[in-house]
Amino acid sequence: MDNHPSPGALEDLKIIELPMLDAMPFFAASWAGKTMAELGAEVLKIEPPKIGAQDRRYGPIGRGGSDAETRALHLYLDCNKLSATLDLNDRRGRDLLMRLLDGADVLFNPNPPALNDRMELSWRTLCARFPRLIAVSTTFFGTDSRYRDFRGGDLVATQMSGVGYETPFNQVTDPPNHPPLRAAERQADYMTGYTAAAAAMAAIEGRKRSGKGQHVDVSQWLAMVSTIRINVGELSHDSPRAGMHRRLFVRRKTNAGWIYPCRDGFISFRSSPGNFWEGAVRMMDSPEWTRDPLFETETLRLKNSDALDALLTSWFMEHTKQEIFERAQAQGVPCFPLYDIREVAENEQYKARGFFQQCEHPVAGRFTMPGPPYRMSRTPAAIRRPAPRLGEHNAIIFCERLKMPRDQFEALQLEGVI
Amino acid sequence: MSDLPLAGVRVADFGWIFAVPHTTSWLGALGADVIRIESPKRPDLVRFLGATEGKPGINRSGLFHSINFSKRSIALDLNTQAGAGVARRLISMSDIVVENFGTGVMARFGLDYEHLRALKPDVVMMSGTPLGQTGPYAGAIGYGPNSLAFSGISHLTGYPGGEPSGIGGTWPDFVVGVVMAMGALAALHHRDRTGEGQYIDLSIAEMVTGMIPEAMMDFFLNGREHGPIGNRDPDIAPHGVFPTAGDDRWVAIVTVSDAEFTALCEVLEAPATAADARFSTMAARLQNVDALERELGELTRRLDRDELVAKLRAKGIAAGPMYNTAEVMADAAMVESGMNIELDHKEAGRRVIPVLPVSFSGFTPNYYGGPAIGEHTDQVLSELLGYSSEEIARLRAGGGVL
Repeated sequence: MDNHPSPGALEDLKIIELPMLDAMPFFAASWAGKTMAELGAEVLKIEPPKIGAQDRRYGPIGRGGSDAETRALHLYLDCNKLSATLDLNDRRGRDLLMRLLDGADVLFNPNPPALNDRMELSWRTLCARFPRLIAVSTTFFGTDSRYRDFRGGDLVATQMSGVGYETPFNQVTDPPNHPPLRAAERQADYMTGYTAAAAAMAAIEGRKRSGKGQHVDVSQWLAMVSTIRINVGELSHDSPRAGMHRRLFVRRKTNAGWIYPCRDGFISFRSSPGNFWEGAVRMMDSPEWTRDPLFETETLRLKNSDALDALLTSWFMEHTKQEIFERAQAQGVPCFPLYDIREVAENEQYKARGFFQQCEHPVAGRFTMPGPPYRMSRTPAAIRRPAPRLGEHNAIIFCERLKMPRDQFEALQLEGVI
Repeated sequence: MSDLPLAGVRVADFGWIFAVPHTTSWLGALGADVIRIESPKRPDLVRFLGATEGKPGINRSGLFHSINFSKRSIALDLNTQAGAGVARRLISMSDIVVENFGTGVMARFGLDYEHLRALKPDVVMMSGTPLGQTGPYAGAIGYGPNSLAFSGISHLTGYPGGEPSGIGGTWPDFVVGVVMAMGALAALHHRDRTGEGQYIDLSIAEMVTGMIPEAMMDFFLNGREHGPIGNRDPDIAPHGVFPTAGDDRWVAIVTVSDAEFTALCEVLEAPATAADARFSTMAARLQNVDALERELGELTRRLDRDELVAKLRAKGIAAGPMYNTAEVMADAAMVESGMNIELDHKEAGRRVIPVLPVSFSGFTPNYYGGPAIGEHTDQVLSELLGYSSEEIARLRAGGGVL
């Protein structure tokens, strides 16, 4: 299936990704696996027999085939991975996992600490047995936390981290009826996954020096808190600005906030600080009102931002998002059109860069999907193989790699261990 | 020091604002020698935000310190030949160069990848910009939160049927920071094996679009166009944030099975809700989600937030309080986590700084407080780059070193 000629940056690494066995959807480990797989690492996804991992059970379903093979999250997150099925609740399944871990570089394990203890898959056990293994736990609260046995997940982590407190961003106008929000989709899971991948790479670097693996403890809650670090810094430095991070701070009070309506939708626009204001004035062909003493300085513009926003908006309402985008950028003012999903899919910038990639899948057919987050000039991240069918690599993994006799393999399949 | 994973790795840091400073604090904490190039003539705007105790000063920004730990700072004017020359000498001794200026700015300084690889053939250079280094809008400028608009995530974030929104925590800047650390480490790994350096171009908008796969894939697979759904989940109900007693106090609750929903109703002492046919199965709850959320909101509104959370957790239900920043910091588990630690700073004193959200069993990251602007100019130029004190004085007099 390998159809991409260039080497991956991580092509020498062997990674095992365990399925989330708790019922709470949690895609951090799968995201970490995706991040490593698109850079060329061999990522073996262990899935529960028959039902498969959560990626096959959540999110939109593609046309044709069964749910388990055409779920959007599976097609996207499991691209470039191998799939083998193992019942980890069965000792024989766990014994086979142990044999696979012998020689693996990294393990991504999303399961709660208590469950790992019960299955004898705790990091202490694994690190003692496989001294070169980098065992990465991606859990809701961390394996040592007093919250280690509590359920978390995307919504809970978002709200407990302070991110929910500021979402929607600067737009709460009716507090009792506007609950704090999460970001779209599963940002807390994905942020945790990226954090786990970066931390795993750090441990890989460390192993080059020490020869030893280690445990890497990644908490979803803490990963999300790390995204409000500036708020923490302001508070801990007794900055008067700390008060600005209040949920009930309505958008217009923050001056030249972020999102404004325009003739055909919305734009994101920023006219602060001062040099951006000067550009904004030029962008609008210097209307009379911009010389009003009310708006003369940054401080005054902040103070009079209700009036300023109303005047800016009246100009935006006469122009399309594309016009405003181009005129603002021509004056060096930060501004982007606010795209809906079709516009994202069809925009010229992504097209010119080839951001969207084509994938050919035996069940889902040919489809388009977003590409990797970075362009690496020597080792481009790429689609090397489509998402695997459930257990697609069982024979290769168990019979060829582990040299399991065919009759034993078939017996274990019959019994549901594989 | 020597057991740190990136001991011996040097990073020339041309970053500013939020994203790249976050990247290099990661690398510095992991043991890299990170040298941030700054200019007092055109300082990072962040140095003026969040002044310690309200007293302004270029070295007093709490905001700056929270994203600039574990690195040194030198002051150069890159617009001068001499200043760019010092930067080039530093780059020739660096493994990683990372920057987030507008597209083309590094080239103006003569510091684009083509020039850098001539100095150091195996250098890893990484750039982060809103829309990337190529394409018709490569030169577009913007803050991270502006890029959300372009990426599609703002269109999807908001109340059901409501207006688009940005995301808290100046999202996506701190995600970008981690992703750039990941990219740089992957390239370093490749270099270690092959001796090859490379250039990495990150588009913030593309990265964020890659993080809304359900909407993108549903469009590409099925032609469906998603919009905002608030806190809801297409497959799970309830999946929401509900009011509790007091002013602006909320609780997030998710139940993933009928049994958990029944347990939730027990905690809320609401047998009628538990028995309501509209809510009896996951499919029914999804169908009647408006009524479900209204009814749960009425039930939670009279309850104490933290007591409710404790009861739900005891039942194994996913629940958590909506915290503001002060509450996040005060949470006992956060205090114990080791993520918010006290670091010393010359002018700001001893302050709590949020460090990496990860713990490693094999080493303790190297955390130290953020630098004053140009604090390490003399140290780096003399000890590392080999300039004599006369040369440094001459560079200073000529304006290349500030």
